[in-house]
Amino acid sequence: MSKIICRCEEITEDEIIEAISNGARSVTEIKKFTRAGMGLCQGRTCRKSIERILARETGRKVEDIGISSYRKPVRPTKMGSMK
Amino acid sequence: MKTYDAVVIGGGIIGLSCTYYLLKKGKSVCLVEKNEIGSGASGACDDMILLQSKAPGISLELAIESLELYRSLPEDLNMDIGFHTRGGMILIDKCEHIDLMNDYVEKQKHYGLDIKIIDKTEVRKKHPYVKENIIASTFGTKDSQVDPMRVLKAFVKNSSDMGMVLNRGKNITEIEKHSSWWKVRFDDESSVETENIIICAGAWSHEVGKLVEVNIPVTSLKGQILVTEQLPPLGKENIWSSDYIVSKLNPELSEGDSTYKKLGIGLSFSQTEDGNYLIGSTREKGIYDKNTTCKAITILTKQITDFFPILKGVNIIRTFAGFRPLSQDGKPIISEVKGKEGLFVATGHGGDGVALAPITGKLMSQLVCGERPSIPLEALSIDRFG
Ligand SMILES: Cc1cc2nc3c(=O)[nH]c(=O)nc-3n(C[C@H](O)[C@H](O)[C@H](O)COP(=O)(O)OP(=O)(O)OC[C@H]3O[C@@H](n4cnc5c(N)ncnc54)[C@H](O)[C@@H]3O)c2cc1C
Ligand code: FES
Repeated sequence: MSKIICRCEEITEDEIIEAISNGARSVTEIKKFTRAGMGLCQGRTCRKSIERILARETGRKVEDIGISSYRKPVRPTKMGSMK
Repeated sequence: MKTYDAVVIGGGIIGLSCTYYLLKKGKSVCLVEKNEIGSGASGACDDMILLQSKAPGISLELAIESLELYRSLPEDLNMDIGFHTRGGMILIDKCEHIDLMNDYVEKQKHYGLDIKIIDKTEVRKKHPYVKENIIASTFGTKDSQVDPMRVLKAFVKNSSDMGMVLNRGKNITEIEKHSSWWKVRFDDESSVETENIIICAGAWSHEVGKLVEVNIPVTSLKGQILVTEQLPPLGKENIWSSDYIVSKLNPELSEGDSTYKKLGIGLSFSQTEDGNYLIGSTREKGIYDKNTTCKAITILTKQITDFFPILKGVNIIRTFAGFRPLSQDGKPIISEVKGKEGLFVATGHGGDGVALAPITGKLMSQLVCGERPSIPLEALSIDRFG
């Protein structure tokens, strides 16, 4: 079986490559197509690997891929603790 | 230079649906997206195909037809798009809303919707974690949901297979009208020629309209959403509060203090196939700032934990905001542009663009091919704005 890239969402390298062959060209598009990076850690673990795969598959440099954004809350937050 | 039958401007769910249905009719299509697929509202929204929330009339008629198309799309597209019919409930916790909701339900029944009002005991049977002092709820069996990202992905994949040319990450600098065709120029000096142009640029359609000297009265209605960690289901049906309907249809009747009103909050609560709950949402007119605000997050959290106290112990893992394309009268624009042969507009779907995408694409493909649209479109013509 292909290597798991996003642990939180259990997305494999093959699934990411499939998303690229279906037309995804950025980390955000891969995220939207596969959910990779949308798990509990919000991509802190998997983002770099996704960037590398994308660079490799599309023949670009990692620097040219562009950074994807972090959103609030930066860490999971209990609803009862929000005032 | 290649000449296309159609250039579709905007790679959201509406532009992609128009592209797909045009390709199915054998047209050649070039899709132009200035950023990424789904970078607009379609990549930052809820997942609901709500019948209950549609104002009786053409909006409801479109929604019913669109739902039918969604049923067969997984097979046509040969992909799982996360389509489910779980039904929906609009929770009523304010006495003053009862009459209004009764009226509303009666009108909707006229259109053949399977919807009724159920009492507190019934409500708590279906949703045992809802708060004690709930008064009643509507209950509809047909409300459905779909995963918008998967729909986007499936449209891109199928359209690519049918020969769609995707022009991504380029800005249009100029659109020139020639005798029976158009020339679209980009900021990298390249250009394409086309017989037809379809503007599906969501909340940015007004800007694109300027390039062809057409007033498209559409602005942003920003919505902020919270995402919870994955949970077991609290109940089957997706949930709205009657405030949602009131703030959508009758904003002046909305309750609460002025920040609350300004944010136009109407609560919606749905579970994705993966188990995350989406909690929405605000309705902020004319705002194009993609940040989420502490104020909105706090109010949404307060509201949902008021309805479902059990959620106090649950984590929010992400928040996001999207810009609904809101037309001047809140209804979609699905229209040709008189006096500009080969120019079409499909936008202004507000908070219903996911639900209405398939029918919009289908109707647009009929308009472009010069066929009679299967639903009369006079009420959605751009001419209505004068
Ligand atoms: C918080 C929130 C919740 C929602 N919930 C629901 C729901 O539950 N059910 C439902 O049915 N709908 C819902 N919606 C509404 C739905 O998301 C929108 O109606 C729909 O996504 C609009 O799709 P669109 O393709 O018209 O616009 P968009 O998805 O915004 O696409 C427009 C595209 O055009 C591109 N573009 C703009 N200008 C140009 C240009 N000059 N050249 C090239 N490309 C350009 C943009 O980059 C963008 O990708 C919600 C929306 C929000 C924000
Ligand atoms: S590893 Fe991908 S989101 Fe956590």
